[in-house]
Amino acid sequence: MSDAPASPSHESGGEQSPRGSLSGAAREQDRYLPIANISRIMKKALPPNGKIAKDAKDTMQECVSEFISFITSEASEKCQKEKRKTINGDDLLWAMATLGFEDYIEPLKVYLARYREAEGDTKGSARSGDGSARPDQVGLAGQNAQLVHQGSLNYIGLQVQPQHLVMPSMQGHE
Amino acid sequence: MENNQQQGAQAQSGPYPGGAGGSAGAGAGAGAAPFQHLLQQQQQQLQMFWSYQRQEIEHVNDFKNHQLPLARIKKIMKADEDVRMISAEAPILFAKACELFILELTIRSWLHADENKRRTLQKNDIAAAITRTDIFDFLVDIVPRDEIKDDAALVGATASGVPYYYPPIGQPAGMMIGRPAVDPATGVYVQPPSQAWQSVWQSAAEDTPYGTGAQGNLDGQSMEF
Repeated sequence: MSDAPASPSHESGGEQSPRGSLSGAAREQDRYLPIANISRIMKKALPPNGKIAKDAKDTMQECVSEFISFITSEASEKCQKEKRKTINGDDLLWAMATLGFEDYIEPLKVYLARYREAEGDTKGSARSGDGSARPDQVGLAGQNAQLVHQGSLNYIGLQVQPQHLVMPSMQGHE
Repeated sequence: MENNQQQGAQAQSGPYPGGAGGSAGAGAGAGAAPFQHLLQQQQQQLQMFWSYQRQEIEHVNDFKNHQLPLARIKKIMKADEDVRMISAEAPILFAKACELFILELTIRSWLHADENKRRTLQKNDIAAAITRTDIFDFLVDIVPRDEIKDDAALVGATASGVPYYYPPIGQPAGMMIGRPAVDPATGVYVQPPSQAWQSVWQSAAEDTPYGTGAQGNLDGQSMEF
């Protein structure tokens, strides 16, 4: 299965002329997250009678992509310096803290710890079943297996700092 | 409906009407008092936002239903040529991080719209939030300068002389970078002007954290399969 989207884009039909594509840039639906999803999240931050103009949604769409690229670039530099090839969750958390998003770290650490717990259960059952492919994985099947393997190695190498937010089972994991 | 820019309304709402019922009953006051009240209210709202997020994430059980499609996040990450491999957890973590980012930027933008007595969030509200917040400096190129100039016009129209936005040059004294400072002068509790959206969170929490999970599932499934 390729990375191409299987379903039609959820974005509005025509591209906005002020946001003309750069030469050689990928399609707009590859550069931005779906505007419907973004709008839904924005509405959660507004009172019931609040409305969102189209240009505000478009601007937020661009801001989110810029946020992803901004954090990813910082995390990627760190991985290169440490001679690692795979960006993991802790690299992203480090990059966010470095770039000033300290408020994001605490909730995301909890989120990541809970995800790893859930993944630990899944991996256990997956290994017993001798199957590494999972529906929620992104990318190719072979890449999935490789990523899972890389993920395991990264877990071993990670230095989990003792914090009350980290579950004891995390340290006893694997 | 959504495309109604309300530019005319924006201009008309420039002067601050005396005794307006829109915001908390702090209209009458000395020169600096309303500004300080405004700062405190905004800091309180952002503080409540982060407290709510910490509580909500404690109850997350499902990591397969995301508000944002993972495959699309991964594509944006891979647009950087230096990025080689991405672990499975990275897009999942980004899905939550982007949600926090959208919520924070939207709240800060709404505060600006609210100051100008508008009920429709516009591009210049996002531009104002970006200029006010240091951690959003990396976004200044996304919003044209014209959007920021609109704010200057509004400031000129303000009758009371109290600035409704923070000048791009530096930040108000006492405000920490990216983190709201909690320092109520007299300890008097002031009702936030946009108290309505607290009920939005509470009702959302009461229903389900992923009240719109159906569409989220659809997006996730269509992208991941």
